Amino acid sequence: MTPVLEIRRASKSFGSHRVLHEVSFGVDAGEVHALVGENGAGKSTLMNIISGIHRRDAGEILLNGESIDPTDPWQARQLGISVVFQELSLTPNMTVAQNIFVRREPTSALGLVHWRQLNDDARALFERIGIDISPTELVGNYSVGIQQIIEIAKAISFDAKVLIMDEPTSALSESEVDRLFSIIAELKQQGVAIVFISHKLGEVLRIADRVSVLRDGEMVGVVNPSHSNQDEIIHMMVGRSLGDLYPAKGVVSDEILLEVEGLSHPPLFRDISFSLRRGEILGIAGLVGAGRTEVARAIFGADRYSRGSVKLAGIKLDLKSPRQAIEKGIVYLTEDRKVMGLFLSMTMRDNIVSSALARFTDALGLLKHRAIVNESLRAIKQNDIRPRDDLLSMTSLSGGNQQKSLLAKCLSANPKVLIADEPTRGVDVGAKVKIHQALRDLANRGIGVIVISSELPEVLGLSDRVVVFREGHVSAVLDGDNIAQADVMRYAVQ
Amino acid sequence: MHDAQILKSKQSDGVGLLQRFSLETLQIGALALAIVVFAIIVQLNFPVFLSLPNINVMIVNFLPEAIIALGMTIVIITAGIDLSVAGIYPFSAIIVGLLLLAGAPIPLAIIITLAAGAFIGAINAFISNTFRVHPFIATLAILLILRGVNIIITGGSPVSGFPEAFAIVGQRGIDFGTFLLRYSVFIWLALALLIGYLLRNHRFWRLSYFIGGNRRSARMSGVNVERYLYFVYMLSGALAAVAGVIVASQFNAASNSYGQNLELRVITAVVIGGADLNGGAGSVLGSMLGVLFIAMIYNAFAMSGISTYWQDVVVGAMLLASILMGEVLKRRRAN
Amino acid sequence: MRRSISLFDSFQRLRSSLALARLLQNRSVILALLILVISIALSVLTPAFLSSRNLTFVITGMTYDLLLALGMTIVLLLWGIDLSVGSVLGLTAVVTTMLLQDGASIPLAIGVGMGVSALCGATNGFFVAYLNIAPFIVTLGMMSVARGIATVLTSGYFVSGLPDAYKAIGQGRLFNVPYMVYFALVVVVILAFLLRNWRPLREAFYIGTNPEAARLAGIRVALITLGGYVFCSMMAGTAAIFMTSRLSMGFFQFGLGAELKAIAAAVIGGASLRGGTGSIFGATLAVFLLALINNGFVLLQGSPNAQNVIMGGILVIAIMIDAYRRRELAED
Repeated sequence: MTPVLEIRRASKSFGSHRVLHEVSFGVDAGEVHALVGENGAGKSTLMNIISGIHRRDAGEILLNGESIDPTDPWQARQLGISVVFQELSLTPNMTVAQNIFVRREPTSALGLVHWRQLNDDARALFERIGIDISPTELVGNYSVGIQQIIEIAKAISFDAKVLIMDEPTSALSESEVDRLFSIIAELKQQGVAIVFISHKLGEVLRIADRVSVLRDGEMVGVVNPSHSNQDEIIHMMVGRSLGDLYPAKGVVSDEILLEVEGLSHPPLFRDISFSLRRGEILGIAGLVGAGRTEVARAIFGADRYSRGSVKLAGIKLDLKSPRQAIEKGIVYLTEDRKVMGLFLSMTMRDNIVSSALARFTDALGLLKHRAIVNESLRAIKQNDIRPRDDLLSMTSLSGGNQQKSLLAKCLSANPKVLIADEPTRGVDVGAKVKIHQALRDLANRGIGVIVISSELPEVLGLSDRVVVFREGHVSAVLDGDNIAQADVMRYAVQ
Repeated sequence: MHDAQILKSKQSDGVGLLQRFSLETLQIGALALAIVVFAIIVQLNFPVFLSLPNINVMIVNFLPEAIIALGMTIVIITAGIDLSVAGIYPFSAIIVGLLLLAGAPIPLAIIITLAAGAFIGAINAFISNTFRVHPFIATLAILLILRGVNIIITGGSPVSGFPEAFAIVGQRGIDFGTFLLRYSVFIWLALALLIGYLLRNHRFWRLSYFIGGNRRSARMSGVNVERYLYFVYMLSGALAAVAGVIVASQFNAASNSYGQNLELRVITAVVIGGADLNGGAGSVLGSMLGVLFIAMIYNAFAMSGISTYWQDVVVGAMLLASILMGEVLKRRRAN
Repeated sequence: MRRSISLFDSFQRLRSSLALARLLQNRSVILALLILVISIALSVLTPAFLSSRNLTFVITGMTYDLLLALGMTIVLLLWGIDLSVGSVLGLTAVVTTMLLQDGASIPLAIGVGMGVSALCGATNGFFVAYLNIAPFIVTLGMMSVARGIATVLTSGYFVSGLPDAYKAIGQGRLFNVPYMVYFALVVVVILAFLLRNWRPLREAFYIGTNPEAARLAGIRVALITLGGYVFCSMMAGTAAIFMTSRLSMGFFQFGLGAELKAIAAAVIGGASLRGGTGSIFGATLAVFLLALINNGFVLLQGSPNAQNVIMGGILVIAIMIDAYRRRELAED
């Protein structure tokens, strides 16, 4: 039997960064084929290639045996391949039916919309997948979970032969997940080929007929869920050696530096408690969306929290802004350096001292330029940022050097606690090693470092202890030298 | 019971007025209420206020604003803005006047003028699309240029003395004895009904809500957003030209001084009528009510003998107040 | 070790001054060249141009525009815009002169006038910085409110009969140049110095470049933004004081359309509508350039009404330059 959708040896690189390498993948009619992998394994890129958002460098896409070449998601949908992205495409100010059938409304010859027909079409669609949503309600009045289901209904309404869903359950409650799964079962019956992309292995095993595992842009294997289990899949997902990417661990003092107790801000996170010791690197592991960044931002004063406390060296903090956090000695290295971290059109020097201008200001509020120059040159040297010209615009630096500048920016504020959120995202291996070494050096100097990372090997290789987050709470605190990746993954997904 | 139903009932548990209706509906409701209350108060003090002749005066005085607000509504729905209407309006009055004085047949003069309005709208869209600047800046530049052009082509003094037959557009009407119902009112009514209807029911026109509500997703759905904006600004320019033609006929003269602060009055009317400056919301009905409210305020000021100079203050304050109200409602709803 | 750093440092400083020169080249040098070319052309075409009377006239006339352009440069730097400056000028003019007419002391009248302008700016800033409402809408509302109040206060009449001591502020001269020209030049120098050296203004660059990153870097984004709007309005207030004392009267239409000139000058001078850049010297040169063009029209008996068209055209060109520069940045 020919698969409905088949990908043959697809490759894709961004610059020098290879994200997909000769990946082949197929899905049959009436089959649910799950695609799993760590963050950054290439799942989203694969999907973007299929839907035409990205152009593949090599390889072929076949639909019912015929080669196709979609240029955008709309065109892919016309061909019968519907992708449901994590980011919703609905607009809240229009009704459910209007959203689903935008640009395809049933109209008269003059283009006037037949509203009753439109709503009936929507109703028929909902009936087909067995849900009861009012077509005339504004989308904005529904919860994100229901919106996700509406999004899926919209995808199906294109008469989809292939339905691809990217983390469709990430915003759903448990009963909504059940609802979604019964919809999927219904669609399977109707012969739709379904690609289900997810981190949540429990769900994957429940729904999938086949599971393909991606790792570092390569397909490492396909398993049959009835002959497999989570452990096997987890090992396939993470299976690689730590190598020499990570510096030797240090000596952690017993002195508690930062203590987080019962921190809550439902529904984002609940009852988060952990402590950080002087000289320690504390890893925070978990899936994207588990609440790690939200907790970090709350500690840093960037967002509010509703309950709980944060203590620094035994003194309770009540931070209302990042400025106060920086004054107290807590700095935060953002996960998204371009949007929230750097001032891209400004110079490297401006960026490096941006969190520490208070240190370089005299009583009149005038800046001490000499001190600023010295600090920026020192930071460039210390963090080995290249090229060593601190008057270059940030845009002219490579990703790795931008990231090192971001770290330098955090350090120039002389922190006691550094919270590094995805400190090595999008950088090459060389820069990675240097950033890891820099973080360990900081810890050795008595700074408390929290590292949030979606890359398990990084968390394990770097950290003295690991806190695992799952769905907004702490599911485990793991201690010791030999924490197994599989253990962490288990706590993160189950 | 279906799960989705359960979820939906959960959603509607304890929802107040705020959640039951869309923001737009709430704002239009509030505006309608304000109009009624205001009308009653003024009526009690000035019994002539709600007489047909006075209502007719209100409408005729604000006919240009009402017609231009039709285009502005769509512009704002797509998350844009058009300041140049205050330049196109006198410009087209002057152009149609000059064409007529040059001996052009009336229909031809009008058509050329409307085309010129649309063309200026196309320039707005071109600048905004090509240089990726906010339409606010693009239309501001065009407004500025037009103000100068208007003075230059008229030499600063009004153009007048149009052929007798041109009076039909803005002066003539049905005589009801106590007042004259001008044909131009019917032009406005026809345009408002047509655009209101299309904006509600036509597939192509409805795209404006989609573009304003979620531009990225509109692009992903294959909508050619740039091309659509050409349409929107050309429409806005053409409607401003319609208003200019009518006013030229009405006064049998065209002056570069027409339309002072007109853009502000129109934007205010559209915004208090429930349109969202961030795009995605707005309606012809709301905008027309907004124009009506402002017309009533001006009229009441004129009657009461309070300095008419207060009008601008009130309009500006209303714009800020309605933006604040929209913002507050939005935040209350989000909670 | 120390020595090597300081050697390296001086090398850096050299590069930094070179870079500064490069930077100047981009905008200000071009503007200066344009000014030179136009000046030469005008002096060849009409001998009246180089008369001291005409030159004083040009320089005096541009003072108001310069003050507004400086304020606008700061607001644009913060990724904002202020359309109300012209109206605030009108309102301050009316308030100050009416107080003087009623016999208030000069310091009191100026104090209240400046207070009114500061209040307008604070209102703008509050809406923009604390309520996150689009600056052009907020200031568009303020534009109409301030102009409206000025109209209501005067019922459209001129306010005259000002004390001589007050007139001296705008009419007094030193070396045949009005005091206010010196004042404006001092403001230019101080502001240029502060923009380079004063922390809150340095932080304005960060805010305009990336407000969210600035907040996370511990910068008081809202407070500085508020301050920027207050400063911009107070520049308009200052211009109003000079204008009323020079012309010996107050009028509600003072400053009509001045906001557009100010925006055009600031953008031509190097400010971007996308925030994060702006140059005091650039804005100053741009105001001078626009004043020369204006003067040329008057001297050559061209229609003074063409000014608006020229201004609008220049604004469009400035938009194009700005877009081009942004594209260059994006391609980097």
